[in-house]
Amino acid sequence: MQDSFVEPLKLLELPVWEKIKNERRLISFDLEITARCNNNCRHCYINLPAKDKRTKEKEMSLAQIKNIVEQAIELRALWCLITGGEPLLREDFFDIYLYLKKKGLLISVFTNATLITEEHIKFFKRYPPRDIEVTVYGVTEETYEKVTRNPGSCDAFMDGLELLLKNKVKVRLKAMALRSNVHELTAISQFCRQRTKDYFRFDPFLHLRFDADIKRNEEIKSERLLPKEIVTIEKNDPERFQALEKGCDGLINPDFAHFGCDHLFNCGTGNGSFTVSYDGFFRLCSSLWHPDCIYDLKKGMLAEAWHKFVPQVRGMRSKRDDFLKKCRVCPIINLCIWCPAHSYLETAELDNPVDYFCKVAHARSESLAPQFRPSIATQP
Amino acid sequence: MEAQVDLNSIYAPSEDVVARDVHGEFIIIPMTSGIGDSDDAIFSLNEFGRAIWDKLDGKTSLKEVARALALQFEGDTTEIENDVLGLAEELLKRKMIIKA
Ligand code: SF4
Ligand code: SF4
Repeated sequence: MQDSFVEPLKLLELPVWEKIKNERRLISFDLEITARCNNNCRHCYINLPAKDKRTKEKEMSLAQIKNIVEQAIELRALWCLITGGEPLLREDFFDIYLYLKKKGLLISVFTNATLITEEHIKFFKRYPPRDIEVTVYGVTEETYEKVTRNPGSCDAFMDGLELLLKNKVKVRLKAMALRSNVHELTAISQFCRQRTKDYFRFDPFLHLRFDADIKRNEEIKSERLLPKEIVTIEKNDPERFQALEKGCDGLINPDFAHFGCDHLFNCGTGNGSFTVSYDGFFRLCSSLWHPDCIYDLKKGMLAEAWHKFVPQVRGMRSKRDDFLKKCRVCPIINLCIWCPAHSYLETAELDNPVDYFCKVAHARSESLAPQFRPSIATQP
Repeated sequence: MEAQVDLNSIYAPSEDVVARDVHGEFIIIPMTSGIGDSDDAIFSLNEFGRAIWDKLDGKTSLKEVARALALQFEGDTTEIENDVLGLAEELLKRKMIIKA
Protein backbone atom coordinates (compact mmCIF):
# COMPACT_ATOMS: atom_id res chain seq x y z
CA MET A 1 0.00 0.00 0.00
CA GLN A 2 1.19 3.49 -0.83
CA ASP A 3 2.08 5.94 1.98
CA SER A 4 0.36 8.95 0.55
CA PHE A 5 -1.80 9.41 -2.53
CA VAL A 6 -2.39 13.11 -2.31
CA GLU A 7 0.78 15.07 -2.59
CA PRO A 8 0.64 18.70 -1.45
CA LEU A 9 2.63 20.91 -3.78
CA LYS A 10 3.68 24.50 -3.89
CA LEU A 11 2.97 26.20 -7.18
CA LEU A 12 6.63 26.35 -8.12
CA GLU A 13 7.05 22.63 -7.57
CA LEU A 14 4.68 21.73 -10.39
CA PRO A 15 6.42 19.78 -13.18
CA VAL A 16 4.86 22.12 -15.72
CA TRP A 17 7.62 24.69 -15.07
CA GLU A 18 10.10 22.23 -16.52
CA LYS A 19 7.88 21.63 -19.54
CA ILE A 20 7.66 25.32 -20.43
CA LYS A 21 11.42 25.57 -20.70
CA ASN A 22 11.13 23.73 -24.00
CA GLU A 23 7.69 24.56 -25.29
CA ARG A 24 5.01 27.22 -25.05
CA ARG A 25 2.31 26.37 -22.54
CA LEU A 26 -0.16 28.73 -20.96
CA ILE A 27 0.30 29.00 -17.21
CA SER A 28 -1.07 32.36 -16.21
CA PHE A 29 -2.83 35.46 -17.42
CA ASP A 30 -3.51 38.98 -16.21
CA LEU A 31 -7.03 40.32 -16.32
CA GLU A 32 -7.15 44.10 -16.26
CA ILE A 33 -10.76 44.38 -15.27
CA THR A 34 -10.78 48.18 -15.31
CA ALA A 35 -8.51 51.06 -16.26
CA ARG A 36 -10.27 53.31 -13.73
CA CYS A 37 -8.86 54.14 -10.34
CA ASN A 38 -9.97 56.12 -7.29
CA ASN A 39 -6.39 57.41 -6.98
CA ASN A 40 -4.62 59.55 -9.53
CA CYS A 41 -0.99 58.57 -9.02
CA ARG A 42 1.57 60.76 -10.72
CA HIS A 43 3.49 57.86 -12.19
CA CYS A 44 0.57 55.66 -13.21
CA TYR A 45 0.60 54.27 -16.75
CA ILE A 46 -3.04 53.29 -16.87
CA ASN A 47 -5.39 55.08 -14.52
CA LEU A 48 -8.42 56.92 -15.79
CA PRO A 49 -10.86 58.66 -13.42
CA ALA A 50 -13.06 56.39 -11.30
CA LYS A 51 -16.21 58.04 -12.61
CA ASP A 52 -15.17 58.10 -16.27
CA LYS A 53 -18.37 56.94 -17.96
CA ARG A 54 -16.87 56.24 -21.39
CA THR A 55 -14.11 54.06 -19.96
CA LYS A 56 -16.62 52.21 -17.82
CA GLU A 57 -18.78 51.53 -20.84
CA LYS A 58 -15.81 50.05 -22.69
CA GLU A 59 -14.99 47.65 -19.86
CA MET A 60 -15.52 43.97 -20.51
CA SER A 61 -18.80 42.74 -19.08
CA LEU A 62 -18.94 39.88 -16.62
CA ALA A 63 -20.19 37.65 -19.44
CA GLN A 64 -17.23 38.60 -21.65
CA ILE A 65 -14.80 37.96 -18.83
CA LYS A 66 -16.36 34.57 -18.14
CA ASN A 67 -16.06 33.69 -21.79
CA ILE A 68 -12.35 34.54 -21.89
CA VAL A 69 -11.70 32.70 -18.63
CA GLU A 70 -13.49 29.64 -19.97
CA GLN A 71 -11.22 29.68 -23.01
CA ALA A 72 -8.13 30.17 -20.83
CA ILE A 73 -9.13 27.11 -18.80
CA GLU A 74 -9.38 25.10 -22.02
CA LEU A 75 -5.79 26.13 -22.69
CA ARG A 76 -4.97 24.85 -19.18
CA ALA A 77 -4.19 28.15 -17.47
CA LEU A 78 -3.60 27.77 -13.75
CA TRP A 79 -3.14 31.23 -12.34
CA CYS A 80 -4.85 34.57 -12.87
CA LEU A 81 -3.86 38.02 -11.71
CA ILE A 82 -6.79 40.39 -11.31
CA THR A 83 -5.52 43.89 -11.80
CA GLY A 84 -6.49 47.33 -13.02
CA GLY A 85 -6.62 50.35 -12.52
CA GLU A 86 -8.16 49.55 -9.19
CA PRO A 87 -10.03 46.26 -9.55
CA LEU A 88 -12.13 46.77 -6.43
CA LEU A 89 -13.90 49.63 -8.19
CA ARG A 90 -15.85 47.12 -10.23
CA GLU A 91 -19.23 46.48 -8.71
CA ASP A 92 -19.06 42.87 -9.88
CA PHE A 93 -15.59 42.23 -8.43
CA PHE A 94 -16.87 39.42 -6.19
CA ASP A 95 -18.64 37.73 -9.11
CA ILE A 96 -15.52 37.86 -11.26
CA TYR A 97 -13.31 36.57 -8.47
CA LEU A 98 -15.69 33.76 -7.53
CA TYR A 99 -16.02 32.67 -11.13
CA LEU A 100 -12.25 32.34 -11.42
CA LYS A 101 -12.17 30.36 -8.19
CA LYS A 102 -14.92 28.01 -9.35
CA LYS A 103 -12.93 27.35 -12.49
CA GLY A 104 -9.99 26.15 -10.38
CA LEU A 105 -7.66 29.09 -10.88
CA LEU A 106 -5.20 30.38 -8.34
CA ILE A 107 -5.80 34.10 -7.92
CA SER A 108 -3.62 37.10 -7.18
CA VAL A 109 -5.05 40.58 -6.85
CA PHE A 110 -3.29 43.92 -7.27
CA THR A 111 -4.99 46.66 -5.29
CA ASN A 112 -4.16 49.97 -3.65
CA ALA A 113 -6.07 48.67 -0.59
CA THR A 114 -7.97 51.94 -0.08
CA LEU A 115 -11.33 50.32 -0.85
CA ILE A 116 -10.95 47.21 1.33
CA THR A 117 -13.95 46.69 3.60
CA GLU A 118 -15.03 44.08 6.15
CA GLU A 119 -17.04 42.53 3.35
CA HIS A 120 -13.89 41.94 1.30
CA ILE A 121 -12.20 40.43 4.32
CA LYS A 122 -15.04 38.02 4.95
CA PHE A 123 -14.96 37.04 1.30
CA PHE A 124 -11.17 36.61 1.09
CA LYS A 125 -11.18 34.55 4.26
CA ARG A 126 -13.73 32.19 2.78
CA TYR A 127 -12.13 32.16 -0.69
CA PRO A 128 -8.44 32.86 -0.09
CA PRO A 129 -6.42 34.49 -2.84
CA ARG A 130 -2.93 33.23 -3.45
CA ASP A 131 -1.87 36.72 -2.55
CA ILE A 132 -2.94 40.33 -2.56
CA GLU A 133 -0.27 42.72 -3.73
CA VAL A 134 -0.46 46.24 -2.39
CA THR A 135 1.70 49.16 -3.41
CA VAL A 136 2.90 51.51 -0.70
CA TYR A 137 3.30 55.01 -2.11
CA GLY A 138 4.44 56.61 1.13
CA VAL A 139 4.14 56.19 4.87
CA THR A 140 3.22 59.74 5.75
CA GLU A 141 0.03 61.38 4.61
CA GLU A 142 1.99 64.13 2.92
CA THR A 143 4.05 61.82 0.73
CA TYR A 144 1.38 59.24 0.09
CA GLU A 145 -1.10 61.83 -1.08
CA LYS A 146 1.49 63.76 -3.01
CA VAL A 147 1.76 60.63 -5.14
CA THR A 148 -1.90 59.61 -5.27
CA ARG A 149 -3.37 63.13 -5.45
CA ASN A 150 -6.38 61.78 -3.63
CA PRO A 151 -7.18 63.43 -0.28
CA GLY A 152 -8.00 60.89 2.41
CA SER A 153 -6.32 58.06 0.47
CA CYS A 154 -3.51 57.60 3.00
CA ASP A 155 -5.90 56.90 5.88
CA ALA A 156 -7.99 54.65 3.64
CA PHE A 157 -4.86 52.74 2.60
CA MET A 158 -3.64 52.31 6.19
CA ASP A 159 -7.10 51.10 7.29
CA GLY A 160 -7.41 48.72 4.33
CA LEU A 161 -3.96 47.25 4.83
CA GLU A 162 -4.51 46.88 8.56
CA LEU A 163 -7.75 44.97 7.90
CA LEU A 164 -5.99 42.59 5.51
CA LEU A 165 -3.07 41.96 7.83
CA LYS A 166 -5.15 41.66 11.00
CA ASN A 167 -7.24 39.00 9.31
CA LYS A 168 -4.21 37.16 7.98
CA VAL A 169 -5.07 37.55 4.34
CA LYS A 170 -1.83 36.86 2.45
CA VAL A 171 -0.40 40.25 1.49
CA ARG A 172 2.70 41.20 -0.43
CA LEU A 173 3.92 44.75 -0.33
CA LYS A 174 5.85 46.66 -2.92
CA ALA A 175 6.75 50.24 -3.69
CA MET A 176 7.44 52.41 -6.68
CA ALA A 177 10.47 54.63 -6.25
CA LEU A 178 9.76 58.06 -7.68
CA ARG A 179 10.80 61.66 -7.26
CA SER A 180 7.83 62.40 -4.98
CA ASN A 181 8.56 59.63 -2.48
CA VAL A 182 12.27 58.82 -2.81
CA HIS A 183 13.08 60.72 0.40
CA GLU A 184 10.82 58.28 2.24
CA LEU A 185 11.98 55.07 0.60
CA THR A 186 13.91 53.80 3.62
CA ALA A 187 10.87 54.36 5.83
CA ILE A 188 8.65 52.67 3.23
CA SER A 189 10.97 49.69 3.14
CA GLN A 190 10.95 49.44 6.96
CA PHE A 191 7.17 49.79 7.02
CA CYS A 192 6.83 46.90 4.56
CA ARG A 193 9.38 44.62 6.18
CA GLN A 194 7.75 45.09 9.58
CA ARG A 195 4.44 43.97 8.16
CA THR A 196 5.20 41.04 5.87
CA LYS A 197 7.83 38.35 5.82
CA ASP A 198 7.87 38.21 2.04
CA TYR A 199 10.67 39.78 0.10
CA PHE A 200 9.73 43.41 -0.28
CA ARG A 201 10.51 44.87 -3.67
CA PHE A 202 10.56 48.37 -5.04
CA ASP A 203 10.53 49.37 -8.65
CA PRO A 204 12.30 52.49 -9.91
CA PHE A 205 11.22 51.98 -13.53
CA LEU A 206 8.26 54.10 -14.41
CA HIS A 207 6.50 53.08 -17.61
CA LEU A 208 4.87 55.55 -19.91
CA ARG A 209 1.13 55.61 -20.50
CA PHE A 210 -0.78 52.98 -22.45
CA ASP A 211 -2.84 55.77 -24.03
CA ALA A 212 0.22 57.90 -24.87
CA ASP A 213 -1.31 60.90 -23.04
CA ILE A 214 1.34 63.56 -23.63
CA LYS A 215 0.78 65.59 -20.47
CA ARG A 216 0.69 62.51 -18.26
CA ASN A 217 3.79 61.12 -19.93
CA GLU A 218 5.66 64.34 -19.14
CA GLU A 219 4.54 63.98 -15.52
CA ILE A 220 5.82 60.39 -15.41
CA LYS A 221 9.17 61.41 -16.86
CA SER A 222 9.49 64.14 -14.26
CA GLU A 223 8.98 61.49 -11.56
CA ARG A 224 11.79 59.28 -12.86
CA LEU A 225 14.93 59.10 -10.77
CA LEU A 226 18.36 59.83 -12.22
CA PRO A 227 20.47 56.76 -13.10
CA LYS A 228 22.84 57.43 -10.20
CA GLU A 229 19.92 57.75 -7.77
CA ILE A 230 18.58 54.39 -8.91
CA VAL A 231 21.98 52.81 -8.39
CA THR A 232 22.27 54.38 -4.94
CA ILE A 233 18.92 53.10 -3.73
CA GLU A 234 19.65 49.67 -5.17
CA LYS A 235 22.98 49.55 -3.39
CA ASN A 236 21.32 50.61 -0.16
CA ASP A 237 19.11 47.57 -0.37
CA PRO A 238 21.46 44.60 0.08
CA GLU A 239 18.77 42.01 -0.70
CA ARG A 240 17.96 43.65 -4.00
CA PHE A 241 21.55 44.32 -4.91
CA GLN A 242 22.58 40.73 -4.30
CA ALA A 243 19.63 39.59 -6.40
CA LEU A 244 20.78 41.92 -9.16
CA GLU A 245 24.31 40.52 -9.04
CA LYS A 246 23.04 36.97 -8.95
CA GLY A 247 20.65 37.57 -11.81
CA CYS A 248 23.33 39.36 -13.72
CA ASP A 249 25.74 36.53 -13.27
CA GLY A 250 23.37 34.15 -14.97
CA LEU A 251 22.04 36.57 -17.51
CA ILE A 252 25.11 38.05 -19.04
CA ASN A 253 26.28 35.02 -20.88
CA PRO A 254 27.85 34.83 -24.32
CA ASP A 255 24.92 32.95 -25.83
CA PHE A 256 22.46 35.57 -24.83
CA ALA A 257 23.01 38.11 -27.52
CA HIS A 258 22.32 35.86 -30.54
CA PHE A 259 24.61 37.90 -32.75
CA GLY A 260 23.37 38.18 -36.29
CA CYS A 261 19.70 37.60 -35.45
CA ASP A 262 17.20 40.34 -36.30
CA HIS A 263 14.28 39.19 -34.17
CA LEU A 264 12.65 41.91 -32.13
CA PHE A 265 11.73 39.78 -29.16
CA ASN A 266 14.27 37.81 -27.23
CA CYS A 267 12.38 37.73 -23.94
CA GLY A 268 9.78 35.18 -22.94
CA THR A 269 6.79 37.33 -23.79
CA GLY A 270 3.79 35.27 -24.79
CA ASN A 271 5.47 31.99 -23.90
CA GLY A 272 3.60 31.15 -20.73
CA SER A 273 1.22 34.01 -20.14
CA PHE A 274 -0.82 36.84 -21.62
CA THR A 275 -2.72 39.94 -20.56
CA VAL A 276 -6.25 41.07 -21.36
CA SER A 277 -6.97 44.78 -21.31
CA TYR A 278 -10.06 46.24 -19.69
CA ASP A 279 -11.69 46.53 -23.12
CA GLY A 280 -10.99 42.97 -24.21
CA PHE A 281 -7.72 43.17 -26.12
CA PHE A 282 -5.25 40.31 -25.86
CA ARG A 283 -1.61 41.34 -25.37
CA LEU A 284 1.51 39.21 -25.02
CA CYS A 285 2.45 41.07 -21.86
CA SER A 286 1.13 43.98 -19.86
CA SER A 287 3.44 46.57 -21.48
CA LEU A 288 3.00 45.59 -25.11
CA TRP A 289 0.44 47.93 -26.68
CA HIS A 290 1.67 48.28 -30.25
CA PRO A 291 -1.35 47.96 -32.60
CA ASP A 292 0.34 45.10 -34.50
CA CYS A 293 0.78 43.21 -31.25
CA ILE A 294 -2.78 43.26 -29.88
CA TYR A 295 -5.67 40.98 -30.74
CA ASP A 296 -9.33 41.79 -30.20
CA LEU A 297 -10.90 39.01 -28.15
CA LYS A 298 -14.32 40.50 -28.77
CA LYS A 299 -13.97 39.46 -32.39
CA GLY A 300 -11.78 36.36 -32.21
CA MET A 301 -10.97 33.38 -30.05
CA LEU A 302 -8.30 33.05 -27.41
CA ALA A 303 -7.00 29.82 -28.95
CA GLU A 304 -6.32 31.66 -32.19
CA ALA A 305 -4.59 34.49 -30.35
CA TRP A 306 -2.52 32.02 -28.40
CA HIS A 307 -1.62 29.53 -31.11
CA LYS A 308 -1.42 31.75 -34.20
CA PHE A 309 -1.14 35.39 -33.24
CA VAL A 310 1.57 35.07 -30.57
CA PRO A 311 4.06 33.19 -32.79
CA GLN A 312 3.39 35.79 -35.48
CA VAL A 313 4.28 38.64 -33.09
CA ARG A 314 7.25 36.78 -31.67
CA GLY A 315 8.50 36.31 -35.18
CA MET A 316 8.62 40.06 -35.90
CA ARG A 317 11.96 41.33 -37.15
CA SER A 318 13.72 44.64 -37.34
CA LYS A 319 15.75 46.31 -40.03
CA ARG A 320 16.75 49.29 -37.92
CA ASP A 321 20.49 49.56 -37.84
CA ASP A 322 20.50 51.35 -34.54
CA PHE A 323 18.62 48.52 -32.89
CA LEU A 324 20.56 45.70 -34.58
CA LYS A 325 23.89 47.21 -33.62
CA LYS A 326 22.93 48.26 -30.08
CA CYS A 327 20.08 46.66 -28.13
CA ARG A 328 19.92 43.46 -30.17
CA VAL A 329 23.47 42.55 -29.26
CA CYS A 330 23.71 44.43 -26.00
CA PRO A 331 25.67 42.49 -23.35
CA ILE A 332 23.96 44.33 -20.52
CA ILE A 333 20.40 44.07 -21.79
CA ASN A 334 19.51 42.18 -18.64
CA LEU A 335 20.34 45.21 -16.57
CA CYS A 336 18.18 47.32 -18.83
CA ILE A 337 14.42 47.60 -19.06
CA TRP A 338 14.69 48.06 -22.77
CA CYS A 339 12.40 45.77 -24.69
CA PRO A 340 10.23 46.29 -27.79
CA ALA A 341 7.19 47.02 -25.61
CA HIS A 342 8.91 49.78 -23.64
CA SER A 343 10.55 51.08 -26.78
CA TYR A 344 7.09 51.52 -28.27
CA LEU A 345 5.78 53.34 -25.20
CA GLU A 346 8.78 55.68 -25.25
CA THR A 347 9.28 56.27 -28.97
CA ALA A 348 6.16 55.00 -30.80
CA GLU A 349 8.36 52.35 -32.46
CA LEU A 350 9.26 48.87 -31.34
CA ASP A 351 12.95 48.99 -32.13
CA ASN A 352 14.43 52.24 -30.91
CA PRO A 353 17.10 52.33 -28.23
CA VAL A 354 16.02 54.56 -25.35
CA ASP A 355 18.57 56.98 -23.98
CA TYR A 356 17.29 57.04 -20.39
CA PHE A 357 17.15 53.22 -20.17
CA CYS A 358 20.63 53.03 -21.63
CA LYS A 359 22.05 55.41 -19.05
CA VAL A 360 20.41 53.55 -16.18
CA ALA A 361 21.67 50.19 -17.45
CA HIS A 362 25.23 51.44 -17.77
CA ALA A 363 25.13 53.01 -14.32
CA ARG A 364 23.87 49.69 -12.93
CA SER A 365 26.56 47.77 -14.75
CA GLU A 366 29.28 50.04 -13.38
CA SER A 367 27.95 49.62 -9.86
CA LEU A 368 28.43 45.85 -9.93
CA ALA A 369 31.53 44.13 -8.61
CA PRO A 370 33.98 43.49 -11.49
CA GLN A 371 33.29 39.74 -11.63
CA PHE A 372 29.62 40.44 -12.36
CA ARG A 373 30.29 43.08 -14.96
CA PRO A 374 29.96 42.23 -18.63
CA SER A 375 33.20 42.33 -20.54
CA ILE A 376 31.92 44.26 -23.52
CA ALA A 377 29.81 47.34 -22.93
CA THR A 378 27.94 49.23 -25.59
CA GLN A 379 28.06 52.96 -25.22
CA PRO A 380 24.96 54.96 -24.40
CA MET B 1 -11.47 12.70 15.07
CA GLU B 2 -9.99 10.23 12.59
CA ALA B 3 -11.86 9.95 9.32
CA GLN B 4 -13.60 6.55 9.08
CA VAL B 5 -14.02 4.99 5.68
CA ASP B 6 -15.33 1.59 4.71
CA LEU B 7 -15.78 -0.18 1.42
CA ASN B 8 -19.55 0.10 1.45
CA SER B 9 -19.56 3.87 1.66
CA ILE B 10 -20.14 6.17 -1.28
CA TYR B 11 -18.27 9.44 -1.78
CA ALA B 12 -18.39 12.45 -4.08
CA PRO B 13 -15.97 15.33 -4.66
CA SER B 14 -16.55 18.26 -2.33
CA GLU B 15 -17.87 21.43 -3.92
CA ASP B 16 -15.07 23.26 -2.14
CA VAL B 17 -12.38 21.87 -4.43
CA VAL B 18 -11.78 21.86 -8.16
CA ALA B 19 -9.90 18.99 -9.80
CA ARG B 20 -8.19 19.79 -13.08
CA ASP B 21 -5.66 18.54 -15.54
CA VAL B 22 -2.98 21.20 -15.92
CA HIS B 23 -0.62 20.28 -18.72
CA GLY B 24 -0.62 16.61 -17.86
CA GLU B 25 -0.61 17.02 -14.09
CA PHE B 26 -3.84 16.12 -12.30
CA ILE B 27 -4.28 18.55 -9.45
CA ILE B 28 -6.84 19.40 -6.83
CA ILE B 29 -7.19 23.09 -6.06
CA PRO B 30 -8.96 24.15 -2.88
CA MET B 31 -11.58 26.84 -3.47
CA THR B 32 -12.27 27.66 0.12
CA SER B 33 -10.11 28.00 3.20
CA GLY B 34 -9.49 25.12 5.60
CA ILE B 35 -8.69 22.53 2.95
CA GLY B 36 -5.19 21.17 3.03
CA ASP B 37 -2.43 22.43 5.27
CA SER B 38 -2.06 25.95 3.96
CA ASP B 39 -4.12 28.30 1.86
CA ASP B 40 -1.78 28.29 -1.09
CA ALA B 41 -1.25 24.55 -1.36
CA ILE B 42 -2.35 22.58 -4.37
CA PHE B 43 -2.50 18.80 -4.46
CA SER B 44 -1.33 16.39 -7.03
CA LEU B 45 -2.74 12.91 -7.69
CA ASN B 46 -0.81 10.24 -9.56
CA GLU B 47 -2.36 8.23 -12.36
CA PHE B 48 -3.83 5.68 -9.98
CA GLY B 49 -5.15 8.38 -7.64
CA ARG B 50 -6.75 10.09 -10.58
CA ALA B 51 -8.42 6.86 -11.71
CA ILE B 52 -9.93 6.50 -8.23
CA TRP B 53 -10.96 10.17 -8.10
CA ASP B 54 -12.76 9.89 -11.44
CA LYS B 55 -14.90 7.11 -10.04
CA LEU B 56 -15.94 8.91 -6.85
CA ASP B 57 -19.18 10.07 -8.41
CA GLY B 58 -21.58 10.00 -5.46
CA LYS B 59 -23.16 6.80 -6.76
CA THR B 60 -20.48 4.12 -6.69
CA SER B 61 -19.35 2.45 -3.48
CA LEU B 62 -15.64 2.14 -2.75
CA LYS B 63 -15.94 -1.61 -3.19
CA GLU B 64 -17.30 -1.12 -6.71
CA VAL B 65 -14.61 1.47 -7.40
CA ALA B 66 -11.96 -1.05 -6.36
CA ARG B 67 -13.51 -3.79 -8.46
CA ALA B 68 -13.55 -1.56 -11.56
CA LEU B 69 -9.93 -0.57 -10.97
CA ALA B 70 -8.85 -4.18 -10.45
CA LEU B 71 -10.22 -4.91 -13.93
CA GLN B 72 -8.70 -1.76 -15.44
CA PHE B 73 -5.25 -2.25 -13.94
CA GLU B 74 -5.40 -6.06 -13.78
CA GLY B 75 -4.29 -5.92 -10.15
CA ASP B 76 -4.93 -7.81 -6.97
CA THR B 77 -8.38 -6.84 -5.66
CA THR B 78 -7.45 -6.84 -1.96
CA GLU B 79 -4.42 -4.65 -2.60
CA ILE B 80 -6.46 -2.27 -4.70
CA GLU B 81 -9.22 -2.15 -2.09
CA ASN B 82 -6.59 -1.11 0.46
CA ASP B 83 -5.31 1.62 -1.85
CA VAL B 84 -8.83 2.89 -2.50
CA LEU B 85 -9.50 2.98 1.24
CA GLY B 86 -6.19 4.76 1.82
CA LEU B 87 -6.87 7.45 -0.74
CA ALA B 88 -10.48 7.95 0.35
CA GLU B 89 -9.35 8.32 3.96
CA GLU B 90 -6.79 10.93 2.98
CA LEU B 91 -9.22 12.84 0.79
CA LEU B 92 -11.85 12.78 3.50
CA LYS B 93 -9.38 13.99 6.10
CA ARG B 94 -8.47 16.86 3.80
CA LYS B 95 -12.19 17.60 3.21
CA MET B 96 -11.82 17.04 -0.52
CA ILE B 97 -14.62 14.48 -0.71
CA ILE B 98 -17.89 14.14 1.13
CA LYS B 99 -19.98 11.11 2.03
CA ALA B 100 -22.91 10.81 -0.34
S1 SF4 C 1 -3.40 53.28 -7.20
FE1 SF4 C 1 -2.42 52.10 -8.86
S2 SF4 C 1 -3.88 52.10 -10.56
FE2 SF4 C 1 -4.47 53.69 -9.11
S3 SF4 C 1 -3.54 55.52 -9.89
FE3 SF4 C 1 -2.16 54.67 -8.36
S4 SF4 C 1 -0.74 53.37 -9.53
FE4 SF4 C 1 -2.50 53.79 -10.86
S1 SF4 D 1 21.66 49.34 -22.37
FE1 SF4 D 1 21.27 50.60 -24.17
S2 SF4 D 1 21.93 49.36 -25.89
FE2 SF4 D 1 21.67 48.00 -24.14
S3 SF4 D 1 19.52 47.30 -24.30
FE3 SF4 D 1 19.52 49.08 -22.97
S4 SF4 D 1 19.00 50.76 -24.33
FE4 SF4 D 1 19.71 49.08 -25.64
